[in-house]
Amino acid sequence: MSNKHKILLIEDENNISNFVKTTLEGQEYKVIVAANGLEGMTLFNSYCPKVVILDLGLPDMDGVELIKEIRKKSDTPIIVLSARSSESDKIEALDLGANDYVTKPFGTGELLARLRATIRNSRHAEGGGAPKDKFVLNDLLIDYDARQIFINGLEIKLTQTEFNIVELLSVHAGKVMTYSEILKKIWGYSDVGSIKKLQVNMANIRKKLGERPGENKYIINELSVGYRMRNTEN
Amino acid sequence: MKDYRRIIKDILVTIIILVSLFLCCLAVDNFVHEQAIIPAVFTLGVFIISLITKGYIYGILSCLGSVLAVNYAFTFPYFEFNFTIQENLISAIIMLIITIVTSALTTKVRQQEEIRVETEKEKMRANLLRAISHDLRTPLTTIYGSSQTIVEGGESLSREQISKLADGIKEDSQWLMGMVENLLTVTRIDNNNLKIKKNDVVLWELVDSVLIRFRKRYPKQDIEVDIPEDFISIPMDATLIEQVIVNLLENAVQHAKGMNWLELKVFTVGKNAIFEISDNGCGIEKDKLDHIFEVYFEKKERPVDNHKNSMGIGLAVCASIIKAHEGCITVENRKAGGSCFRFSLSMEETGDEQ
Repeated sequence: MSNKHKILLIEDENNISNFVKTTLEGQEYKVIVAANGLEGMTLFNSYCPKVVILDLGLPDMDGVELIKEIRKKSDTPIIVLSARSSESDKIEALDLGANDYVTKPFGTGELLARLRATIRNSRHAEGGGAPKDKFVLNDLLIDYDARQIFINGLEIKLTQTEFNIVELLSVHAGKVMTYSEILKKIWGYSDVGSIKKLQVNMANIRKKLGERPGENKYIINELSVGYRMRNTEN
Repeated sequence: MKDYRRIIKDILVTIIILVSLFLCCLAVDNFVHEQAIIPAVFTLGVFIISLITKGYIYGILSCLGSVLAVNYAFTFPYFEFNFTIQENLISAIIMLIITIVTSALTTKVRQQEEIRVETEKEKMRANLLRAISHDLRTPLTTIYGSSQTIVEGGESLSREQISKLADGIKEDSQWLMGMVENLLTVTRIDNNNLKIKKNDVVLWELVDSVLIRFRKRYPKQDIEVDIPEDFISIPMDATLIEQVIVNLLENAVQHAKGMNWLELKVFTVGKNAIFEISDNGCGIEKDKLDHIFEVYFEKKERPVDNHKNSMGIGLAVCASIIKAHEGCITVENRKAGGSCFRFSLSMEETGDEQ
């Protein structure tokens, strides 16, 4: 694999940026490190990184501001690192346009997996001015034109809404979609009361896809935050 | 919010007692024509009011009200105020004194109770801090010492030695991570005064998250899962309940010696969801069963510096989380061997989820 992707790491803790840099470089990524938000913004503008890994707790500004700043001009994927583990923080960052969220303390394996998923997801998005007509994940195949889903060649019957949800998640495979994002795109509005509606649909989808708890074959559930379709085989 | 409710309750109690006393006296007055007991009845009422309401204000107000009522309705001249008769004045003063003394007494007792609870909490917190600081030392020693050896050892260390040291660092920092997670939980519950924010959580999704988190740490440990097929949604703080289940599973892995079967089972009884974590390990000694959820229980008996044992904190955290959810948690030894931890959560809509 030749993945000399440029990664911009914005993190003020020296020790953390150190081990993240070492890990990523071991995987043949090229890593640029910024120690504060301002420097991060400058480096972002001059290097055009493939992915930004951003610590939310920066000395000179709130990382959330930086997400807004970056989103004003580009769709570069952002993975957020944070010591704040409450769901509302995650949801805020994701709704502002972050692609993924890793809570400290995290393992290198977890970070690498998220990074790979994010890069795949962005490649997918870039490749498609024209939408693809198929999505494949292990034994799962989604035919967008025919609006059909197959597992091991056997068709799985989904309702319209269920198909729409699976379609949405698969188009954004690798990215966490928050409840409100999904509700807005499927039903056109999002209020807290409708989360249950989404959860019930999701339960039916899982049943039909034959998902078992703890396996995460196709759809990963981010408790109290949202859902994410897998985009890497394993 | 709580104060506000308390005030309304006190006002209501005061009014109800006064009004019923007044009606009662009217009845007595009409049928028995015995006036001597009327001031006594009012004195009793005022005494009760100062006993159950908070502070002086309700007692004194109802005392004045009673004096006026007795003066107006039950003493000569009837249904007219008359403050010139000495007996009336004297009984008014006596009533006032009784009120003030009673209120002073009850207020003092309440304050002492509050102080006692506060001291108890303070003591628990100090115990917890002591237990934890002690527990933190051992893994920190491993981490500090091993990394120092690696940094300073340079080329004299073999690849194998380095990876052994690094494994130690990894293992002990993982333990620290679990500990910190529990501590954060404790402070979160403490700060909110046992009031937690509940969201509707789908049981399947909860179990899914738990299993993934658990398997990341113990990839070799199999768990048998038995949950209902139906769509079940339970109001809870998902992070906290996830923590409870992970703690209980972890507790089994670390303490149930000889275990080769671990089960997570959930079923519903009426409006409650019952969670059971069972194993077939060595079970729990009888004398420990009653105290297992108390924070510093293990502290007394376990050998010093055996930090892997300090799941005592983990179980205490479970207990306080479940308590904050108004559920209950119990443990028993299974007849077939091993232990079974069980906790229940209400599935009733709470109305305050957001």
